[in-house]
Amino acid sequence: MAKAVGRGIAAIEYPTGMNQNGDPSQAWIKLKMDGRVDVFAGTVDIGQGSKTVHSQIVADAIGVPMDWVTMDTSNTDSSAFCMGTFASRGTFIGGNAVRLAAEKVRSRILEIGGELLEVDAGDLEIADGEVHVKGSPDKKVGMGDIAGFATFVKGELISGQGTALKEYATLDPETGAVTVPPHSAISYAACAAEVEVDTETGDVRVLKMSQVYDVGRAINPTMVEGQIEGGAMQGLGLGLLETVYPYYPSPDHRGSGYGSYFVPSMEELPELECIIIENPSSDGPFGAKSIGEMANNAQPPAIATAIYDAVGVWVTEMPITPEKVLRALRAKEEGRPESRTDGKYIRYDEELSINAVASADSAVLFAP
Amino acid sequence: MKVVGQRLPRYDAGAHVTAGTRYVDDVRIPGTLWAKALRSPHHNAEILSIDTSKAEAMEGVFAVVTHADVHKNVHGHIEGLGVPGDEPLLAATHVRYLGQPIAAVAAVDEATALRATEAIEVTYRELEPLFDIRRAFEPNAPQAHDNQNWYPDFEGQMDRRQIRKGDVDWAFEQADHIVTGVYRPYPMEHVPMETQVTQVVPEADGRYTVYSATQAMYFSMGVVAAHLDWPLNRLKFIGGTTGSGFGGKVDTASETITVLLAVKAQRPVRWRWTREEEFLCSSTRAGWHMEVADAITKDGWILGRKMLTLHDAGAYSRFSPYGVTKHSFHHTGAYTIPNLEFNGYVVYTNRVPSTAMRGFGVTSVSFATEIHIERCARAIGMDPLEFRLKNANRLGDTSPNGVVYTDPSTVPVVKAIAEATGHELPADYRTMTAAMRSGDDLPEHLVGQLGNPEDH
Amino acid sequence: MSIEFTVNGTAQVVEAEPLTPLLHVLREDLSITSPKASCQHGGCGACTVIVDGEARRSCLMPVEAARGTAIRTVEGLAPAGGELTPLQQAWIHHYAAQCGFCASGFLMAATAYLEQGGTDDRDAIVEALGGHACRCTGYVKIIAAVQAAARGETFDLEETAVGANTTIKGVER
Ligand code: FES
Ligand code: FES
Repeated sequence: MAKAVGRGIAAIEYPTGMNQNGDPSQAWIKLKMDGRVDVFAGTVDIGQGSKTVHSQIVADAIGVPMDWVTMDTSNTDSSAFCMGTFASRGTFIGGNAVRLAAEKVRSRILEIGGELLEVDAGDLEIADGEVHVKGSPDKKVGMGDIAGFATFVKGELISGQGTALKEYATLDPETGAVTVPPHSAISYAACAAEVEVDTETGDVRVLKMSQVYDVGRAINPTMVEGQIEGGAMQGLGLGLLETVYPYYPSPDHRGSGYGSYFVPSMEELPELECIIIENPSSDGPFGAKSIGEMANNAQPPAIATAIYDAVGVWVTEMPITPEKVLRALRAKEEGRPESRTDGKYIRYDEELSINAVASADSAVLFAP
Repeated sequence: MKVVGQRLPRYDAGAHVTAGTRYVDDVRIPGTLWAKALRSPHHNAEILSIDTSKAEAMEGVFAVVTHADVHKNVHGHIEGLGVPGDEPLLAATHVRYLGQPIAAVAAVDEATALRATEAIEVTYRELEPLFDIRRAFEPNAPQAHDNQNWYPDFEGQMDRRQIRKGDVDWAFEQADHIVTGVYRPYPMEHVPMETQVTQVVPEADGRYTVYSATQAMYFSMGVVAAHLDWPLNRLKFIGGTTGSGFGGKVDTASETITVLLAVKAQRPVRWRWTREEEFLCSSTRAGWHMEVADAITKDGWILGRKMLTLHDAGAYSRFSPYGVTKHSFHHTGAYTIPNLEFNGYVVYTNRVPSTAMRGFGVTSVSFATEIHIERCARAIGMDPLEFRLKNANRLGDTSPNGVVYTDPSTVPVVKAIAEATGHELPADYRTMTAAMRSGDDLPEHLVGQLGNPEDH
Repeated sequence: MSIEFTVNGTAQVVEAEPLTPLLHVLREDLSITSPKASCQHGGCGACTVIVDGEARRSCLMPVEAARGTAIRTVEGLAPAGGELTPLQQAWIHHYAAQCGFCASGFLMAATAYLEQGGTDDRDAIVEALGGHACRCTGYVKIIAAVQAAARGETFDLEETAVGANTTIKGVER
């Protein structure tokens, strides 16, 4: 029968790194004697692309071509400590660790290059694996010569290590006030969703999502898109499809396979638009902020608002299944108002009110 | 040539399309045994006895492990962060959720391992389960957990996470309207395409090589070492190749038990969870119950917010106290609200423990806050985008914890989404930036709340 | 029982119970690990191989049903050390795999689709591949890769494609 189209937006923020910090990532780098760069770090690339992104950071931070950089994140014997791939920390905190290590290697290369060229290290720069005097690109020495000189003449391994760590933020249990900022840069995003609601079946189809992400600096824009697109579909799943307990809190009818738990498929894919904003952070590698975790947070409320815009009902339990949409539509038809005004109070969702909780323990009492 | 900013392919893109990426389940080591777990058939029960003798006697069975084989059976993943451990690796006296592991078996093949788990005899006394976090506080509520039904150890002393900022009573008095709403995201699964999987190889030098799909090699190595009371150099984790995780593979759910089996069997052991185990027994994203009341003025300022959050931890704490703390730090969303009263509880139920999942702690609050913002704006007849811009985080504004924002982008992202959707903003919003509030931009209720971003 | 078939052109004889899933035989007996054991109940497509020209979910196919067939897997798409197929190249250029766990199944299903004359028509691609799950990519770049391969495009493997619907902009502070 009737299909109604609606639009909604949501804006969100998300912090980088473990809450309250204290979560180091470490890396170390050594030069092979032909100047090639070996990076050892413990950050796990779970598909988001951190290993490639870290290699890009190292290549530019030292000044070598990308294919000079080899990264080993394969095991705990050779790699340095990393807290892990979570809390949107891979590019940012792991990236800062490899950047810091690379900067140390770079300055040692410049010092030894200065010895060989008999100039001050401060007058040198590195590009494409060669060290040359600023302003005279012909006065140069290759990094292979520098690394060979270090190894065979000076008896030195050119290496560097980096640790990215922010001080643990202690908090006041009464107020939540913290001693130092409890995270690294905060990223921001917004999502606009356009949906079509079938008022007969309760089905909601997302037609289009436009998404804006401020990532500080897109170190690899394709991988940023990968996060935005993948996150959009997980957000769609959250908003409309996915739950292990369809009648939560009841444990009944729990899905145990793909036939009974709905993972978004290609068929649900709406038109997606990505807008990447680069508002650099002060403390991320090359100005980067994080994106991974936030990428599925903006879609569910944008979809819920779009459904309201389309058919005039708020469904505030997610996923917003056809059954919930139909129940809300029926309640509206039966004349239940969306909110109740009482003095200056405007009360929504009274049927789900806190009373069940509050009645038991005054400590939980919530009486706005 | 600079490469930052370039669209380079993944380092392993070629391997991905030629079957060259070796995931944990693709590692082939001769003589590897299969592992299977015996899991609780009850939501909540006391364990009266466990008898593994029949399973141990079966042909093809090389090892059976229970709680008795674990040096430190109860170890919390984030004990280092002050969250006491409350979850046994293998259940000893109680099972608190359906699917909780009680024993595990390593056998010559999958079918034998499965039969051996069925041969383990466990007797139970069933207890009434608790599923509804809203009932957890009732005096006669079923007991979901060894302790009380909600986490008592925030900062070692508080049974809830609190935020207090400014003067919330003033805000609610001053307000023209108070808008209230309730928001309830349900639990969901990570559904990584690769299920939980570990292979462990006992090496000739007495070390153990652990092929792990963990998202956090060192973290998981620390968890295994703590359970076994081993120095870190007895373990070598080989990882870094993971068939996606989304938070679920921080849990270290298969590594320790597989190591225990390999120690006992002195053979390589592989444990790959089935998809059913992944859906029914692996941790989920939590369910939440959030109540929000916003004190707003008729011209669109949010003066204050009160919020109550109940977080469904499932049967054990895992990362939940951390998640609720993170949630509390971000409960104002992308907006500056100077007067706050937040109370958040980690509540236990007899369901699979919940854990980190993409957006941990904040996905829930984004859902609540953004719908609530829409309702507030509509309640006073204001354009929801303008309402957002007006209350946006700006340079110098402070977070719920009193931290000064140094790179806020609410304004640029909202303006960009307005432009992308053809939403006309009035002129003064079109020229708005994230710059520090001053003059007309500095409303009375934010006076005295500004910090200097240069100080941070 | 002994069962014969070919895998990527090589004759194989396996000893197996007739109802053993082909997936299990490929992975465990023949160590052909590109088909993944992701759900093993036909729900995700990660185990897809080509059997006599048709994309089949190897977790649902009893090995007996493969008797005498020609089976193809990702291992056989390109000759060892030789040039990748256009579809494999498209997967790289369009960043169609993140964690990569779904890639084998998608590649085999999409190879069958293209060999059977599939075009770059979006709906037809969704029809052919809609039953495959990928949790990472959101499918946008998978569809783009199949479309590009169907059009016979050539691919730069040093660089990935610009997203069709992306803008990047700086911010005045
Ligand atoms: S493993 Fe065969 S369809 Fe999922
Ligand atoms: S790339 Fe990870 S599941 Fe598809």
